[in-house]
Amino acid sequence: MIRFVSFASILLLWAALAQLSDPRHLPGPLPVAEMIFSEARSGELFLALGATLARVAASFAIAMGLGSALGYLMGRCRIADDILDPWLVVLLNVPALVVIVLAYVWAGLNEAAAVGAVALNKLPGAMVLAREGARAQDPALDEMAQAFRVSRRARLRHVVLPQLAPYLAASARSGLALVWKIVLIVELLGRPNGVGFKINLAFQLFDLRLLLAYALPFVAIMLAIEVLLAQPLERQVSRWRLDAARHRD
Amino acid sequence: MLLDIEIDAKDHVDAAGVARPVLRGLRLALARGEAGAVLGPSGCGKTTLLRIIAGLDRGFSGRVTLPAHSRLGMVFQEPRLLPWRSVEDNIRIAAPLARAEEVAALLEAFGLAGHALHFPGRLSLGLARRAALARALAIKPDLLLLDEPLVSLDAAMALSLRARIARLIDETHVTTLIVTHDLSEAIALADRIFLLSKPPARVLATLDVATPRQLMTEEARRELTQKAQAALADL
Repeated sequence: MIRFVSFASILLLWAALAQLSDPRHLPGPLPVAEMIFSEARSGELFLALGATLARVAASFAIAMGLGSALGYLMGRCRIADDILDPWLVVLLNVPALVVIVLAYVWAGLNEAAAVGAVALNKLPGAMVLAREGARAQDPALDEMAQAFRVSRRARLRHVVLPQLAPYLAASARSGLALVWKIVLIVELLGRPNGVGFKINLAFQLFDLRLLLAYALPFVAIMLAIEVLLAQPLERQVSRWRLDAARHRD
Repeated sequence: MLLDIEIDAKDHVDAAGVARPVLRGLRLALARGEAGAVLGPSGCGKTTLLRIIAGLDRGFSGRVTLPAHSRLGMVFQEPRLLPWRSVEDNIRIAAPLARAEEVAALLEAFGLAGHALHFPGRLSLGLARRAALARALAIKPDLLLLDEPLVSLDAAMALSLRARIARLIDETHVTTLIVTHDLSEAIALADRIFLLSKPPARVLATLDVATPRQLMTEEARRELTQKAQAALADL
């Protein structure tokens, strides 16, 4: 209920400010909604959303998969940590824009460069969290699994992954928020489609209705993923903690 | 013999790289179906010995002889249950080959039937120890290793679990090695007691407990206690 009131107050504030401003600088919620429907009817909106979501999904999967595996390795193996740590520090400190421009210059204005540049920006964050998760593994449970000769696969599934899960969930949630923002920049700089491309077009035409008509549905989709997928998943993996807290004497 | 141990030397190396001798020239053997108790002062290397037998510590010189493919059921001092899996799943993960009815029977035998689907966070220490014991038995061990199974339990819970373990040993004849610092616990559970010296530890004396233990006279118990106390007093 509080969330709903808070959300409604944003809309009201927007409508009030739009009334007071030049509509070219801040169009109100209704004109923007009309533009959203018009772009949806023409199919342009769905094409742009589809292209951007595909890039988000691909770069997110690459960054999470590779970053989590490398981070876990660094947390468990001292030599791997020594080798990869300087790379990690460099990646953490190179501005996203530099990575994107370099990717386009070196690999050309193509899909691989776009997705690769976004993945490379998320990679160090995923590595850092997975490394922390690996370092926080309870050695007593490792020993228990070893003593009972639990198979490698079962150990990964029942001992390692549940301990990594909170770190991976945090990494996924922060990563998703970062990835979709960078995907828009990548599209703005060098792709012929997607929400970022449309926003660039709206900027060139100084059409804020168009800009918001593409930005808002995309934000709504990312919010829906967060609320309907990421948060329930996080609750599921920490179910046992809540249970223990509820039944503690 | 099911278990034959000869540990020439085992050291603990601290963070500064300084080696401290823990075990030296330790010899110990257990026949199939026998229950042994390793008794000694705190910090004398009892748990280290158990970890060596379980294959968790290989940094020693000497040998541990067990028949090939022996199954070892280990009960650690802390129950070491996976907190994110139910009690039943904890048993199944350690013993994937155990049949459903076998797991159910074990849960029943250890008074855990009502907790099968609970996460371990809900269990008291006593119940969690029982779950750890059920897990160790689910693999049908050739050798059961118990590390201070009654430590940190209140008196009533310790007595109840002690009786349960004694019954288990007597009924199943599973070869068992118990590590304890409590003489009465060793007498109540073992056929043979190995007294360890201060570190670097070796077996100072081996005392045979008259079996069956239930029929042991008060006098025999007193005599055994005095013998063990005399040996320990020499330390």
